[in-house]
Amino acid sequence: MSVAMPNVNETWTGKILEVTLGAGPDKGGTRGKTVTVGGETTLPFLHFEGEIPNKPVVAVEVRDRAPDDWSELLVKAWGDSLKDPAAWAAKAEGLGAEIIALSLDSAHPERGNTGAKEARETVRQVLKATSLPLIIYGPGQPDKDNEVLVAAAEEAAGERVALGNCEEKNYRTVVAAALANNQVVIAKTPIDVNLAKQLNVLIGDMRLDRDRILIDPTTGALGYGLEYTYSVMERVRLAALTGDSALQQPLIVTAGYEAWRAKEARTNDGVPTQWGDWAKRAVLWEANTAVTLLETGADILVLRHPETIPLVKRAIAGLMTRAGA
Amino acid sequence: MSPGDGTSMDDGNGRQCLVRLEPSEQTVYIAFGGLLEEAITQAGLSVPLPCGGQGRCGRCVVQVREGTVRRRSALRLSEDDIEQGYALACQTLIEGDLTVWVPPHEELVQRLEAGDRAEKAAPEVMLCDHAAKPWVARYQTTVEPPSMGDNTPDLERLQRELARQHGLRDVRPTLAALAKLPTVLREGEWTVTVEIEQGDWAAPDGPYRLLDVLPGSAETRVLGLAIDIGTTSVATYLGDLETGELVDHASAFNSQIARGEDVISRIIYARQPEHRQELQERVITTINALVDEMLARQNLMPERIALATVAGNTTMIHLFLGLEPQYIRTEPYIPAAGKFPPVPAVSLGLHMRPEALVDCLPVVGAYVGGDITAGLLRTGMHEQEAVTLFIDVGTNGEMVLGNSDWLITCACSAGPAFEGAGATSGTPAVTGAIEQVWIDPRSLEPTWATLGDAPPIGICGSGMISLLGEMMITGVIDKGGRIAGHGRSPRVRRGEEGPEYVIVWAAETGAGDKDIVLTETDIQNLLRAKAAIYAGATVLCESVGLAITDVERVLIGGGFGRHIDVEKAIQIGLLPDMPWEQFTYLGNTSIQGAYLALTCREGRAQADELANKMTYLELSADGRFMDAFTSALFIPHTDESRFPSVQRALAEARPERVSHHD
Amino acid sequence: MALSGLAIYKMLPQTNCKECGFPTCLAFSMKLAARQVELSACPHVSEETKTQLDSASAPPIRLISLGKDGHKLEVGNETVIFRHEKTFYHQPGLIYRLADSLDDQEFTHRLDQVADYGVERVGMDLRPDGVAVQDSSGSADTFAARVGQVAGKGLAIILMSSDPATMEAGLKAAQGKEPLIYAADSGNWQPMADLAKKYGAPLAVLGAGGDLEALAALAEQVAGYGVENLVLDPGARGWSDSLGALTRMRRAAIKKNFRPLGYPVITFPGEGSEDPREEAMLASQFIDRYASLIVMDDFEPAALYSLLTLRQNIYTDPQKPIQVTPGLYEIGDPKGDSPLLVTTNFSLTYFSVAGEVEGSGRPAWLLVADSEGMSVLTAWAAGKFDAERIAKAVKAAEVPDKISHKSIVIPGFVASISGDLEEELAGWQILVGPREAIGIPSYLRQLAKG
Ligand code: SF4
Ligand code: FES
Repeated sequence: MSVAMPNVNETWTGKILEVTLGAGPDKGGTRGKTVTVGGETTLPFLHFEGEIPNKPVVAVEVRDRAPDDWSELLVKAWGDSLKDPAAWAAKAEGLGAEIIALSLDSAHPERGNTGAKEARETVRQVLKATSLPLIIYGPGQPDKDNEVLVAAAEEAAGERVALGNCEEKNYRTVVAAALANNQVVIAKTPIDVNLAKQLNVLIGDMRLDRDRILIDPTTGALGYGLEYTYSVMERVRLAALTGDSALQQPLIVTAGYEAWRAKEARTNDGVPTQWGDWAKRAVLWEANTAVTLLETGADILVLRHPETIPLVKRAIAGLMTRAGA
Repeated sequence: MSPGDGTSMDDGNGRQCLVRLEPSEQTVYIAFGGLLEEAITQAGLSVPLPCGGQGRCGRCVVQVREGTVRRRSALRLSEDDIEQGYALACQTLIEGDLTVWVPPHEELVQRLEAGDRAEKAAPEVMLCDHAAKPWVARYQTTVEPPSMGDNTPDLERLQRELARQHGLRDVRPTLAALAKLPTVLREGEWTVTVEIEQGDWAAPDGPYRLLDVLPGSAETRVLGLAIDIGTTSVATYLGDLETGELVDHASAFNSQIARGEDVISRIIYARQPEHRQELQERVITTINALVDEMLARQNLMPERIALATVAGNTTMIHLFLGLEPQYIRTEPYIPAAGKFPPVPAVSLGLHMRPEALVDCLPVVGAYVGGDITAGLLRTGMHEQEAVTLFIDVGTNGEMVLGNSDWLITCACSAGPAFEGAGATSGTPAVTGAIEQVWIDPRSLEPTWATLGDAPPIGICGSGMISLLGEMMITGVIDKGGRIAGHGRSPRVRRGEEGPEYVIVWAAETGAGDKDIVLTETDIQNLLRAKAAIYAGATVLCESVGLAITDVERVLIGGGFGRHIDVEKAIQIGLLPDMPWEQFTYLGNTSIQGAYLALTCREGRAQADELANKMTYLELSADGRFMDAFTSALFIPHTDESRFPSVQRALAEARPERVSHHD
Repeated sequence: MALSGLAIYKMLPQTNCKECGFPTCLAFSMKLAARQVELSACPHVSEETKTQLDSASAPPIRLISLGKDGHKLEVGNETVIFRHEKTFYHQPGLIYRLADSLDDQEFTHRLDQVADYGVERVGMDLRPDGVAVQDSSGSADTFAARVGQVAGKGLAIILMSSDPATMEAGLKAAQGKEPLIYAADSGNWQPMADLAKKYGAPLAVLGAGGDLEALAALAEQVAGYGVENLVLDPGARGWSDSLGALTRMRRAAIKKNFRPLGYPVITFPGEGSEDPREEAMLASQFIDRYASLIVMDDFEPAALYSLLTLRQNIYTDPQKPIQVTPGLYEIGDPKGDSPLLVTTNFSLTYFSVAGEVEGSGRPAWLLVADSEGMSVLTAWAAGKFDAERIAKAVKAAEVPDKISHKSIVIPGFVASISGDLEEELAGWQILVGPREAIGIPSYLRQLAKG
């Protein structure tokens, strides 16, 4: 008996844009390595149906100031490098990071209130310490974001860094800085496909090239809204593949930041025994958050723990293996 | 492209064209390819250019009576218009010698307005053909005088004749009518005119009630009162029950406003029984004042009013009847009744015949009330095959979708933004309200029109729609509704409450004390209101498996005043992008429907059927609605492809903003 | 294929008689289209309509149950490819595989680990669903003994053996618990199908290396033989192979209504990975992507807990508005004297308020009250953001323990509840904040000035 299997392949009309971070000397930068993400013509890892020319990549979070609210596990894992962003970045590169996500956290009014000058210095140091492309985050407070992100964008002119976060309330400044210095922006909106699109339209109206935008849909961690992000990312991807040009950018998720906010990862105080071994649990919390985000379309995953990096990269390798290969 | 650029685009043979301007009989020479507007200016005449010569407002229209022109854009001109030579001065290039009529602009503007505006449909009252008998009617009857041989009492004597002459059996008098009967029979020398109530909705076939008896052949009319109790205002129509003729009408603010602007505030206020009573008294006082006003004008007595039909949202009806409204507000949102029993006027203290009935039209649910049943009745969409969407653009944002087969309804609580409430410089649609605005895209200077051409006092709902559309097209705001034009004009500034746009400087206003502005907060409010309505409409369609584009007609009810500017309403994404002729503005549909039920037995019966037939869709906490709402919280919409006409307008107005990526 | 509400309505009597418990026939048909009612609730449908509607509403993926009564594990019956289209209905079963060759002590220990595991998360009791007994001893008796041991535990059971005789021994020992027979392949399907019939047990059909056409043919054959309660194993194992196979199977069943693949799918993440951590990650993929039974090899509580959590997340109803957990949130680094604001737990409301507070650069406490996921105005209208609820939230979050002052800022839209709130929170000062979130920074600035 033979049963003809129906053809289930979709013919998508849209394609994810390729976005490149980092520029080498040939392109006016100093990066030893550059990263290109996006370019998919199908849903995540459906090799039977379309092209997935670029694999998702792992970015590792580095702060310009030793974080005082990080889990003990993270602090132990990174050790002294936490105190020096350049050393931290170098160590991350050694552990397999493909992008350094530098957070100018010390500019926050309550965490140091540093200014443009310090931001430039940090960016210079980190650029020197690593060959990887950079993402640069402001402290998340509009006035200070404006101040340090503009400075950082100038300092890293030509390096094609991604500036984050570009949100509804500050998009004009961040986009202007990106326009002036030929950088990329991370357009972040709170877990909603409509808001994601709206921000992209607003940014597009300022005439930033579409391939200089990354979409951060806002990440929910495992157990803390991951399912919302899952569905929003699926909807973003489906819209993009069905031709919605305002959502065709690669997706960036902050799996590390979110997973390590979860009690399950952060602490072992007063937790039920059923939760199992803390170290195993914490790393798996971050890794499993990342897996679900990969399945729904993450192109860049910003991670925190050194051990998570190879785990997530192994999943990516498995997912990038074409059937029968 | 600025008008000045036209001359340099001299792609003709460089020759000069002779332009004759009528009626002033001036002539000027303009290079081939120049703009009509230039010719007019050069001659020292003027046409208004409210949109800055962008071909958007259509206000610069002139008539080319002879010669050749090329129209870059003919927006707002019909084929007929073009045939007759009408052209936009700012968009029309001179390509030969011309004769142009430059009229006093009022004339032409008037003619043009019908195009893009859904004017209020003309008839204020809809009449049925009155094949059925009226609810209350007069009969003239002559009764055999009694004698010793026929000592039947007066009432039975009258009843006998009513049955014999008019086929009215078993007529029961009210006590008041019976009390008058002996005297009136004799006063009229055994000829009387009786006023008989012939059933009510609950018992349409009777029993018949004798409401009044008058001597002889009285010429009085039997009147009925239709009442629309809105959250914001109350409207009344006084009509002749027998002929359906509208006798008078009056409206006023609902004095309950003093106790809260929306239904929820009032329900909360009514938690104490004495407050509930106060709200009832307030609305009845409002109605009585309107009735007194009409009666005085018509020189009539309250007793002539023999029936009242009331339409209102569910909360308003509860408060009017003095019913407990609390359970409307909380889950599972249950009204005291769907169909209300007719009650005698005396129990409510309305200024009309005390024994006459007051009939409240049936409600569908907690948030879809008798105002919608009435409105639907008025639209007649339930008798047509075309899939129609009826939107009542009011505080509650109720709408009905369907046709003769099915009807589905929802309420999306839009808030009072379009009624002029809540905005910094908002006003209802009264004299002096700004109802239309254009903005020059370069200078950002506005041009506005007010109701009654009075000095501006504020901006009403239709004005806000118009203004919002202009602000978006000219880039004063971004598509998210944030003010974005900082530094481009002193009119774009940071006010006390954040960024704002100044429409009228204080000195030019009616009151002369404060600038008329639209703040970013006002804009967010408007966006929410328009998003709620558009989202309600889309979810309503999707709930039955239709797309909004499947809707064949859109009927709009509400208190916008004279008209709603459909083009602008589409531009901001309040109404779906459909050809303008598919929209009809009906004005206050609730009062019109109530009047129909008052004057037409068949209409009243239909109201019941409609309430029964409408399927209510609950939107609060519906994920689909929230999603549709968020996507509509953008101008015109997150999914711009739903608004192709707006995409085109944007491309024309801001050619530099056209996406150059695809 | 699924019919729209309007399409169903056209087949109903349209009398609005209300006997079905709905106000109108259209309301009933919409519920029917959403699969929230049974057609039988309307006593007035014709036989013809019934047949038509029944065939239109048959689930594209068959519902299969393992076990009975109190310990029934139901899987399948899914209707969508993407969760946001409606919802995923039946959580995949998490099953642990134990080899029958383990020694007594080890087997008992591992069995107890699975049977005894239970953890509470957001009010739900989460536990693994069952045990798969793997015939590795090659002895029918050993197999049967182990199965008997498991049968007493109230867990779902999978019997894994390719030998029909061993399988039958296991089925007998399972004491009518309706275990899943794993597996019928092209070689042994007939005797396995006979066993499935005899014992009324569901049967897994095993394909080879992801060849879906062959799998479909085999499933069709077994179904034609009279065993319709099937579970499919496409035989694919690694990350992308499994993803491809499971996606194609789901699409074939749902989009093409392809019956031969319209059954729940069983997966073995341990067979596609190098170590336990990778197994746990691959299991995550299977929860995200279309598995109905996930058979794990390594029992590790930390991994299990993360999988149970993920499963709970993915199988929630996406139609419900996105909510944040009610409680007291710290924005910036608030001190005891920082201002306290209250808002609802609708996520977008929370995000816009939290975002503005954060943007203001002034640390503050943000109290999120449970408004059942409604925004401020909607919740207020429905009585879900009133004085009582806010007072309750204040108490539940132990606000007075964390904050040194007694004043609370309420959204401007609900100014009218200040009076009631003063009563509920005796001794508190109620401040009315701005109506819109964008007004928060300037409001906080003024507040700080005093
Ligand atoms: S029982 Fe049947 S006929 Fe009656 S209302 Fe319900 S669906 Fe309609
Ligand atoms: S259309 Fe000519 S000025 Fe507006």
